[in-house]
Amino acid sequence: MKIVVCLKQVPHSDARLDINGDGTWIQEDNLKFEINSYDTYALEEALRIKDAGEAEVVVVSIGPDRVTQALRTALGMGADRAVHVNDSAVEGSDALGIAKVLAAIVKAESPDLVVTGLMSDDGNFSAVPPMIAELCDMPSATSVLKVDGANGSLTVERELEGGAMEVVELPKPCLLAVQTGLNQVRYASLKGIMAAKKKPIDVKTAADLGVGDQVGAGAAKVRMEKVYQPPKGEGAELLEGSTDDVVGSLMNKVKELGLL
Amino acid sequence: MGSILIVAEIQKGALREATFELVAFARKLADANGSEVKSLVVGSGVADLAGTLASKGGGEVFVADDAALANYNVDGYTKAIRAAVEAAGADLVLMSNTPTGWDVAPRVAAGLDAAFVSDCFDIQAEGGGLVFLRRVFNGKLDARLTASEGRVVATMQPGATSAYEGSGDGKTSELKVDLSGLRAKFVETKVAESKGVDLTKADIIVSGGRGVGDPEKFPEVIQPLAEALGGAMGASRPVVDAGWLPHEYQVGSSGQVVSPKLYIAVGISGAIQHLVGMKTSNFIVAINKDPDAPIFEVADVGVVGDLFEIVPALTSAVKAAKGG
Ligand SMILES: Cc1cc2nc3c(=O)[nH]c(=O)nc-3n(C[C@H](O)[C@H](O)[C@H](O)COP(=O)(O)OP(=O)(O)OC[C@H]3O[C@@H](n4cnc5c(N)ncnc54)[C@H](O)[C@@H]3O)c2cc1C
Ligand SMILES: Nc1ncnc2c1ncn2[C@@H]1O[C@H](COP(=O)(O)O)[C@@H](O)[C@H]1O
Repeated sequence: MKIVVCLKQVPHSDARLDINGDGTWIQEDNLKFEINSYDTYALEEALRIKDAGEAEVVVVSIGPDRVTQALRTALGMGADRAVHVNDSAVEGSDALGIAKVLAAIVKAESPDLVVTGLMSDDGNFSAVPPMIAELCDMPSATSVLKVDGANGSLTVERELEGGAMEVVELPKPCLLAVQTGLNQVRYASLKGIMAAKKKPIDVKTAADLGVGDQVGAGAAKVRMEKVYQPPKGEGAELLEGSTDDVVGSLMNKVKELGLL
Repeated sequence: MGSILIVAEIQKGALREATFELVAFARKLADANGSEVKSLVVGSGVADLAGTLASKGGGEVFVADDAALANYNVDGYTKAIRAAVEAAGADLVLMSNTPTGWDVAPRVAAGLDAAFVSDCFDIQAEGGGLVFLRRVFNGKLDARLTASEGRVVATMQPGATSAYEGSGDGKTSELKVDLSGLRAKFVETKVAESKGVDLTKADIIVSGGRGVGDPEKFPEVIQPLAEALGGAMGASRPVVDAGWLPHEYQVGSSGQVVSPKLYIAVGISGAIQHLVGMKTSNFIVAINKDPDAPIFEVADVGVVGDLFEIVPALTSAVKAAKGG
């Protein structure tokens, strides 16, 4: 069994977001990065399948040099090898461009299972995984919160609204885009981190993968024109002053509501 | 100009409100650029619903009616939407950003090699092209996107506009879809079982988010305030995902939707999926150290500060006022 896990490195959830010079994205220099939260659950699920039987787990990521660190972490957690697409030509790609690169890797690896996150914490697109599945002609399920059965087909639970679940059966190979909370994510052990140093990270360009002409701003069908602070509406009345002042004002509000 | 295809969604035997929001967006764009509005209804025994949509602004409604489509099926829906895009000659396809929309819409876009923009809160016709507005970074920033020439598939955030209320006299036409070779198989839908905590009945809810930082802090900081006020404790999703609290405490689109007299959000940033679960509360207080946190946009009263200072002080004041 071979499992490909797609993981993206994104700005740390506590990072201060400043808009870049041309207003098209955030200023990424000097930011702290981490593995996209959804993708840590994707990797964990793949590692659990590996722990329960026999599987090779290949982690794949597109991004600049800094991504090496995310891949090392993933290898430290137990992934077997990594593919890093490090290519400035990919910059400016839209979701479809990213999906074409990842699909090219999936086709070359021909795994039994592809596991991804449901959504990236930076762009919030929720677009890439079903696109990969379509481009690789495999069935897919998103918002996955449970995975069962390992032979031939998988039974998965998809989260719907209000906590309801949809149970679906997918033959392998297939793609699962997982929702947060489907497992408890492990930490990389010291032993794992040491072992990871010897695991291979295969660095590639889009051209190596045969999709050099399908990536970058030139090929993108969607262009991020600008990002901006959301317009402030009326917003909240902000209470100022010392903790005592603030608590006093809050108490008055609660009293006015007749709730004390 | 070509046409705009709305992909309708059925929930509990009726067309979803979000579908009529798509009609509103489509009609707005059609008025601006002269497109024709058309729709697709997918399901089994859905002719009546198709008729309803046709009479309420959906334009010509294609109906993919087949026993194999009685429940959502990613392969079946992909095929039906592809067939409808051809039949309608659509250059813009609109779906709702729901579990169905985000499962199938990107597949359709990739299959058509079309532009794809998800979870928009608005689309505007501008200078012959389209402009899409959506949130990024879980609501901390907004983004403006444009699409190149050619077909576009977009999903719209439910609740981003009001449902279309006009009428129409569109016809309905049967859509033939080749449904052979479906790989995904629907098994069943499980409804959420409610266990113990029913937050919808509470008058006061104090919810803690990832900012609370630590499972021990819930019984130490959040619960005492909830108890002092005689209310219930709630949580955002990451708190539940981390196993700090069971799922029944979760407020939001995939948890409970609540509307208490007083909702206190502590260390919660205010992502849209949380907001849809609590924004209709009568009075909302937000306590967050980040002055730009989107939660302050829906709150009535906000405190920018450290929750570990403010919440315990507030708890003491409530206890003192109640003579405890
Ligand atoms: C399909 C789907 C369904 C979802 N359903 C839900 C749902 O039902 N409910 C839900 O909540 N989310 C849901 N989410 C997740 C949602 O997108 C957000 O990730 C989540 O709401 C963020 O939770 P949070 O605000 O607690 O965490 P964060 O966004 O990490 O915010 C933590 C906040 O705490 C503040 N903070 C930190 N320390 C302190 C301190 N000492 N004092 C004061 N403030 C502090 C920070 O400034 C920050 O604003 C869903 C997502 C998806 C894709
Ligand atoms: N640059 C990338 N490298 C690897 N995987 C990615 C990348 N971008 C997106 N993905 C995968 O696609 C999922 C959804 O991302 P998105 O469609 O961008 O919201 C992520 O959780 C990842 O699993």
